[in-house]
Amino acid sequence: MIEINDLRFDYGTGDFCLDIPHLRVNEGETVAVVGPSGSGKTTLLNLIAGIAKPQSGRIVTGAADISGLDDAAVRNFRIANIGLVFQEFELLEYLNVLDNVLLPYRISGSLRLDSAVVQRAEELLTSVGIGDKLDRYPDNLSQGEKQRVAVCRALLVKPPLLLADEPTGNLDVMNKGRVLDILFDYARDHSATLVIVTHDRDLFDRFERIIDFKQFFDDTRGAAPGKPQDE
Amino acid sequence: MHRGASLFLLATLLACSQDASRESAAVTQSTVSEVVTIYATNYPLAYFAERIAGDRGEVVFPAPPDVDPASWSPDAQTIVEYQQADLIVLNGAGYAAWVAKAALPRSRLLDTTSAMADRVIPLENAVTHSHGPTAEHSHGGTAFTTWLDLDMATEQARSILEALVRIRPDHESEFRQAFISLEADLREFDRQLMRVAEKIGDRPVLFSHPVYQYLERRYGLNGVSVHWEPDAIPEEVLWDQLQALRQQHAARIMIWEADPLPETRRRLADLGIECVVFQPGGNRPAAGDLLDVVRRGIAGLEGAAASR
Amino acid sequence: MFYLAWRYLSYNRWKTSILVGSIMLIIYLPVGLNVVVEQSGEHLTARAEATPLLVGAKGSPLELVLNSLYFSSKIPEVMKYSEATSIMQSGLAEAIPLYVRFRSRAQPIVGTSVEYFGFRELLLASGRMVALLGECVLGAAAAAALDLQPGDSVVSSPETAFDLAGIYPLKMQVVGVLEPSFTPDDQAIFVDIKTAWIIAGLGHGHQDLARSEAASAVLNRTGGNIVANASVVQFNEVNESNIDTFHFHGDLAQYPLTAVIAHPHDQKSGVILMGRYVDGGAPSQILQPEDVVDELLETILTIQQFIVAAVIIVAIATIATAALVFLLSLRLRRREIETIGKIGGGRWHVVSMLLTEIVIVLILSGGMATMLTILTWRYGSAIIEGFVLS
Repeated sequence: MIEINDLRFDYGTGDFCLDIPHLRVNEGETVAVVGPSGSGKTTLLNLIAGIAKPQSGRIVTGAADISGLDDAAVRNFRIANIGLVFQEFELLEYLNVLDNVLLPYRISGSLRLDSAVVQRAEELLTSVGIGDKLDRYPDNLSQGEKQRVAVCRALLVKPPLLLADEPTGNLDVMNKGRVLDILFDYARDHSATLVIVTHDRDLFDRFERIIDFKQFFDDTRGAAPGKPQDE
Repeated sequence: MHRGASLFLLATLLACSQDASRESAAVTQSTVSEVVTIYATNYPLAYFAERIAGDRGEVVFPAPPDVDPASWSPDAQTIVEYQQADLIVLNGAGYAAWVAKAALPRSRLLDTTSAMADRVIPLENAVTHSHGPTAEHSHGGTAFTTWLDLDMATEQARSILEALVRIRPDHESEFRQAFISLEADLREFDRQLMRVAEKIGDRPVLFSHPVYQYLERRYGLNGVSVHWEPDAIPEEVLWDQLQALRQQHAARIMIWEADPLPETRRRLADLGIECVVFQPGGNRPAAGDLLDVVRRGIAGLEGAAASR
Repeated sequence: MFYLAWRYLSYNRWKTSILVGSIMLIIYLPVGLNVVVEQSGEHLTARAEATPLLVGAKGSPLELVLNSLYFSSKIPEVMKYSEATSIMQSGLAEAIPLYVRFRSRAQPIVGTSVEYFGFRELLLASGRMVALLGECVLGAAAAAALDLQPGDSVVSSPETAFDLAGIYPLKMQVVGVLEPSFTPDDQAIFVDIKTAWIIAGLGHGHQDLARSEAASAVLNRTGGNIVANASVVQFNEVNESNIDTFHFHGDLAQYPLTAVIAHPHDQKSGVILMGRYVDGGAPSQILQPEDVVDELLETILTIQQFIVAAVIIVAIATIATAALVFLLSLRLRRREIETIGKIGGGRWHVVSMLLTEIVIVLILSGGMATMLTILTWRYGSAIIEGFVLS
């Protein structure tokens, strides 16, 4: 569950401001966040994930009011509860496929890496069709394979919340579908909340809800506060 | 990672496998003990060393009994045994050519005639050689049976004494006592030889082999050497040469290094020549010791002097 | 964090290798140099201390010591064999002659007397001691280098390639191999001094000129002397059948030596013996090798200090460069650091990962420097000595 109240965020440069009086995403909901570039979609995901901190307002993600937590607590919460998928995959070039998937466990003080986790990672990778490439490095993977690795990394901790920022932006049609299937299947099977930023209108039918930033971008052009509009 | 650790360990182990402990004496050092080990190159020197060193010495003369030590060459292993000796007694005067070809410890070598170089007799008619008209000549050779001059023999014995005193100064008095006894014996035989030589006078004598130079010089014998083997019948040409020689040198005594064959003895007797055996004594005698050899030689000369 | 740091370093192996190599060098150079200098110093000093007095022709003391104790290829002026006799006859010291001039390939041929082996406490590992002309005993390392054992033979190398009128190679019989002594003696081929003179052409064996078969080698006959011409066949090895023909012309007292090791019977004898050479009138010099080596080591120490100073300057530059490389790589890794942050890794995680990388590099560098130092300790002084003494 995500709940945002009276949130106000800007980067301090004066040319952008995100103003969200209220936003709620229910547990298990699949939401698409759409809108033109620069409208604040990625910023919204960062705020929900606790990567960015608002100047004012309240954000409750899952059971935690992350706006009230310190940096370390937010990180600990994020790494254990939120799966993040990025448009640029953001794999570490010097780790092989398996190690990239296991990354959250290696950088977390609270998650414990054991053989069960490793086995789960291998099963995940096998389930997405790259179980035979565990030793490969990102340089030797296709775009679709890279994104599948990134998705597995996000899913390994069994997060109740999945945030994906243009996860299919750099993929061809076939891989696009594959990646989305993985995300939606996970959300369905684990009753997880799925929020995806996307430009692709062909995908809208798959979501239960669309949050459109277009309107408030039009409203906020010229440095006026913007508000997303539910459709 | 694991490979790196293994390499590190291997290098450490390699570096630790260093020198093992080294013990025991060096290669050519003889064991330090009370007994002085003395190796000799001929029997007379061995006899002198035995007389002087007594129980304090172990004297070794390794030449087989049936060879002439002057021309004997020990094998390499025997030379290695020589190297272990506390004292190696050499005759000098060119005796035992093998010494010049062997690796012997100079600090333990004793040349018993080095102090008498002016008394060494060069060989006449020796064939020398040189390389090129201006090159150095090789040594022509010297007579080497120096002990047959009993005065020189005494000095040779004295040099052995001095060497033993240097090696074992704590036994000096024993050595000197023993030497005095030996010297007395040698001087007595020297006198006896002088007397018998007086009886012979300047009567010409023959020597069967050119090995009596020192005997001849010391005791004033008027001798000429031929080259006859005691265990072979001389060829006719040698008899002819003898006849010719006797024209200028009418010898009636022939001194042999060993018993000639009966036929040789008979034929010489027919010529009026008596055979006298005076063993040079280079090797151990079948019976008795060096002084017995000299005694027998003197007796033979006395007999010949009386009859001839 | 260690795992991630290790993976990063392994992936960027060239960068890591260069960093590790550079840091390893700046750690190793002064340490290794110190080990080499100390060890060499110890070896040189031990060898010099084991040689009480050395007598040689007047000239460079260092050259004399290096040739006599370490068998260097620089040959000092020669002296006469009579000098050794004179020292021995003085009763003050044991005189061990040395003639170190020739080589068989890289191994020095040391002409000496059997007393040398007792003096140096050299033990036989196999075979026996040199007994006759033409025989040799090999040091352990020489035997290994030439792959020889008792029963084999070794040939001396000519001094120059086209020495038409000079020194012919002599084929020598190997009769023994010594146990390792961990001194320069291990590299040597030991022969009796007279064998060394044969190699020098001062002694030889040839057909008997008095025999009819040698008629073509006779230049003329004068009285009892036969003069040989240049066609006389000289033997290039000494064996059982020809050893009796070997001889030396002239007075052995005039024959050459490169040095005499004088082993005084006691301290007083040593002082007296040294006194005989002090007045300057003697044609030879006497010295205590320890003094010469001490001087040499002082010079080496000075050079070492200069090198260490240079290394320190280079080290500062290297560390600065390494720091720059590290900072630049941080800029290049900004994306990676951001990713870790986004996933949930804290600033401390990132810092500790980067610090761990530095620590691993330092440990690898230090470890390799340590290994190299150990290897240097094991082999370095032998290499340096070989370089200095060649």
